[in-house]
Amino acid sequence: MIDYVLPIVLPVICGVMLLVLGVPQKRSNLLLLVSVAMTAVLGIDVLLLTKVSGVRLNLFELTHNVAISFALDRIGTIFYVLILVVWCLVMIFSFEYMKHEQNEKRYYGFFFIVLGVLTGLCFAGNLITFYAFFELLTLTSMPLVLHNQSHEAVMAGLKYLFYSFAGAYLALLGLYFLFQYGNTLDFTAGGVLNEQMAAQHQPLLLVLALLMILGFGVKAGMFPMHAWLPTAHPVAPAPASAFLSAIIVKAGVLALIRVVYYIFGVSFLRGTWVQTTWMILALLTVFMGSMLAYREKILKKRLAYSTVSQVSYILFGLSLMEPVAFSGAIYHVIAHGLIKSTLFLCAGAIIYQTGKIRVEELNGIGKQMPVTIWCYTIASLGLIGIPPTSGFISKWYLASGALNSGNPVFAWLGPVILLISALLTAGYLLPITMHGFFPGEAFDYKAMKKAEPCKKMVIPLLILTALSVISGVFTSPLLAQLQMIADTIF
Amino acid sequence: MPEYMLFIVILLPMLTGVVFPILPIKKRSYRLLFLEILVVLNSVFVWMLLLNRPESGFTLAHFTGDLTITFKMDGMSMVFAGLVSALWPLATLYSFEYMTKEKRENMFFMFYTVSYGVTLGIALAGNLLTMYFFYELLTLVTVPLVMHTMTREAILASRKYLYYSIGGAAFGFIGMIFMIIYGTTLDFALGGVLDLVKIGDRTNILLLVYVMAFLGFGVKAAICPFSSWLPQAGVAPTPVTALLHAVAVVKAGAFAILRLTYYCYGTDFLRGSWAQYVTMAIAMFTIVYGCSRAVKETHLKRRLAYSTISNLSYIIFGATIMTPLGMVGALSHMVFHAVMKICSFFCAGAIMHQTEKHYVHELDGLGKQMPMIFGIFTVSSLALMGVPGLAGFISKWNLAYAAIESGNPLAFGGVGCLLISALLTAIYMLTIVVRGFFVKSKVTEANEKQDYHDPNWMMLLPLGIFAAAIVLFGLFSTPLVNFLTDVASGLY
Repeated sequence: MIDYVLPIVLPVICGVMLLVLGVPQKRSNLLLLVSVAMTAVLGIDVLLLTKVSGVRLNLFELTHNVAISFALDRIGTIFYVLILVVWCLVMIFSFEYMKHEQNEKRYYGFFFIVLGVLTGLCFAGNLITFYAFFELLTLTSMPLVLHNQSHEAVMAGLKYLFYSFAGAYLALLGLYFLFQYGNTLDFTAGGVLNEQMAAQHQPLLLVLALLMILGFGVKAGMFPMHAWLPTAHPVAPAPASAFLSAIIVKAGVLALIRVVYYIFGVSFLRGTWVQTTWMILALLTVFMGSMLAYREKILKKRLAYSTVSQVSYILFGLSLMEPVAFSGAIYHVIAHGLIKSTLFLCAGAIIYQTGKIRVEELNGIGKQMPVTIWCYTIASLGLIGIPPTSGFISKWYLASGALNSGNPVFAWLGPVILLISALLTAGYLLPITMHGFFPGEAFDYKAMKKAEPCKKMVIPLLILTALSVISGVFTSPLLAQLQMIADTIF
Repeated sequence: MPEYMLFIVILLPMLTGVVFPILPIKKRSYRLLFLEILVVLNSVFVWMLLLNRPESGFTLAHFTGDLTITFKMDGMSMVFAGLVSALWPLATLYSFEYMTKEKRENMFFMFYTVSYGVTLGIALAGNLLTMYFFYELLTLVTVPLVMHTMTREAILASRKYLYYSIGGAAFGFIGMIFMIIYGTTLDFALGGVLDLVKIGDRTNILLLVYVMAFLGFGVKAAICPFSSWLPQAGVAPTPVTALLHAVAVVKAGAFAILRLTYYCYGTDFLRGSWAQYVTMAIAMFTIVYGCSRAVKETHLKRRLAYSTISNLSYIIFGATIMTPLGMVGALSHMVFHAVMKICSFFCAGAIMHQTEKHYVHELDGLGKQMPMIFGIFTVSSLALMGVPGLAGFISKWNLAYAAIESGNPLAFGGVGCLLISALLTAIYMLTIVVRGFFVKSKVTEANEKQDYHDPNWMMLLPLGIFAAAIVLFGLFSTPLVNFLTDVASGLY
């Protein structure tokens, strides 16, 4: 029991104490305390990760048959490891970045709490537990969005809150019905629907499936309820934006995996109008997100639109309901998580060092911050899908999966849209590199100053960039795990 | 326990209230102590009655024919009486502090305490006549409370309240007359007491009368289109709006509808009829209407009043599902919403008491200066939205479960209404929380200059207890839900 409960409760307690206690006042003491807490949390998490057996734990019942239950399986472990890695590196980056912001203690407090809630999401063994932590995730990440408390930030935070809850309540509608029409709410590979009920109520269940996909898709930034993402992600402090784009949207992805593969089951949904609708929405988002990113002038907002687009690559892969595409989708969860956090942290470094937020102001930035922009470039190549980065692997598998799927339209339409989007991705990411390293004749080379950020910010960048490449080169371990998962759910 | 105790617990608060203004004790704190002791004593008696239920009823008076004033404690009485008696001592304690800033508190406490007895009279009523009698009486003793501040606003509000309530009770009276003629008895019995032989083929008339009585009693339960008295009654002092207009009066309306549906007409007669669809549709509409008005409302207490309108229709929706599970859902929301809403209203009252601010846009940044109040307000907001782990999730779950289990397609739509309402609740409650904790504006700067702080223990203690209850019910609701299921299956 301690294996499941402690990794959830410990970060939450650390976070709450940071929020509630008046001390420490001095910044250096605060950072020391946070580092100690961080080390403790990560140490315990890693230790217990090696021990946990994956056996289900039913903690208690909220009411009849509505149990809070945890069970860590392979897919949960993959998400969990990604979360831990990115969280740790973003926290280290924050130590330096948050020097220029206010209310730092509150920031760290909520950051810890969010880790605890995300852990609960990964460990969740049934849809009720998952839903409970999903709602908590929205509530506890909202203060990160509106951190700087400007009018813009507060409005963005509220927009995030209301969109997310609208989505959550769509999912709750489905959950109410699934409680009665399913054998159980525990996540079971292949689905939990009662066959009689499924046949009897098929139209209703299909509608509910779509509503749940739309509902959980809100968090993943899927059209038509994506509008909160480009408003909320840029307005947060850069490390929080990185975490939101790289990790918190993946909570929506995990939700969709659970609902489609572990609750409804592929056999119920494959070939139905629900699948077609989902594929259309995902591809639409891929294209639209890239287009809007291409036209966007503010760097962080451009990256936010990029998230909208890239996460729908993952959703497209999931919607194909085909093993190779599934592997590609999960691979992209990891690739995008590592890459997008790198990109946002680079943007944060640029803001921290130079105060510049618009793309057109970034001429010569590569000369000022070479290491940072090199990391940016390598990460961008990953997002575009150039070997040997992880982004290439995931795109390859997504395209192969689409071609394999045998769907008359989407087998070819999918890869075409992915290709167009890759070109657009190059178009919206690489100009910063090009103008950064080759600012042209008109640039005032003498007035330029070296502005490389300090080690606390550069080292996480380097690690994340390295990981995004390493996971593209050493693919076998992860692919083997994904194959094992795919075997159970297809 | 002996049956006459059923009458004692009704009489004792009424006498206490009447005696209070003429009490020979001079010092304020001793007078209030006397009052609180008697209220607590009465609540203890009620709970003793709950735990040692008298088997038969207590007849106070006989009128002509079989018409009697009878008190009896059955399952539903246990729920309502238990709820009201648990909340009243805490509300009285809260109002001691609150009334330091208001005038004529003797009158206030007189009517406040008499209302306690009258509400118990509704809860413990053994037949429709008794319930109707105390129902009308409740209107009469609460009008002076609404009118208390004696401003023009208050007088207009109390007049509207009076007219609406008396009008509604008149329609309830029509229902009662038909029950006398077409029912085997006026007593409450689970499953109904209609004499089907006597009705013959006049079913539609009976259904029409049911809908009329539903609308009549529904006035007190603030169903659309008879709900406008409730937001206007927000002009009363907060202990009145909180306890009476979020717990006692409005729940009495919902209670009456439950009695009418399950214990007079009986659900077997009503289920599947056009009357069920009409009443369910009215409830569903009110759910969404109440929440929509709340989003637009900027006056803090009126916003919570609209929220009450919506939440009461959750209870009524549960009643209109007309299955035992529907009753469980309705009763669980009756209990949980009472706690959540009294908590919200008391927080609002504390804010108004400490800062004299009435409107939502004046509350920027107050969370820093009054962290306990805003913290507890956040808990009640999350509970009203239905966040898992808090009480509201459980009652919504029970309602949705009942709706889906019934197989009624309109009820499925009702679940959708519940969720739309949940989203709107998130909007109108969390914007207050965010304003309090996170907004930095000119209003915040002005507020920071003032010396605002959390109120003293007399207001904080009830709030803390309510917040703890919300969390407790959210996590450990199974015993209560089991009890309600027993009530719905007729065990008591």
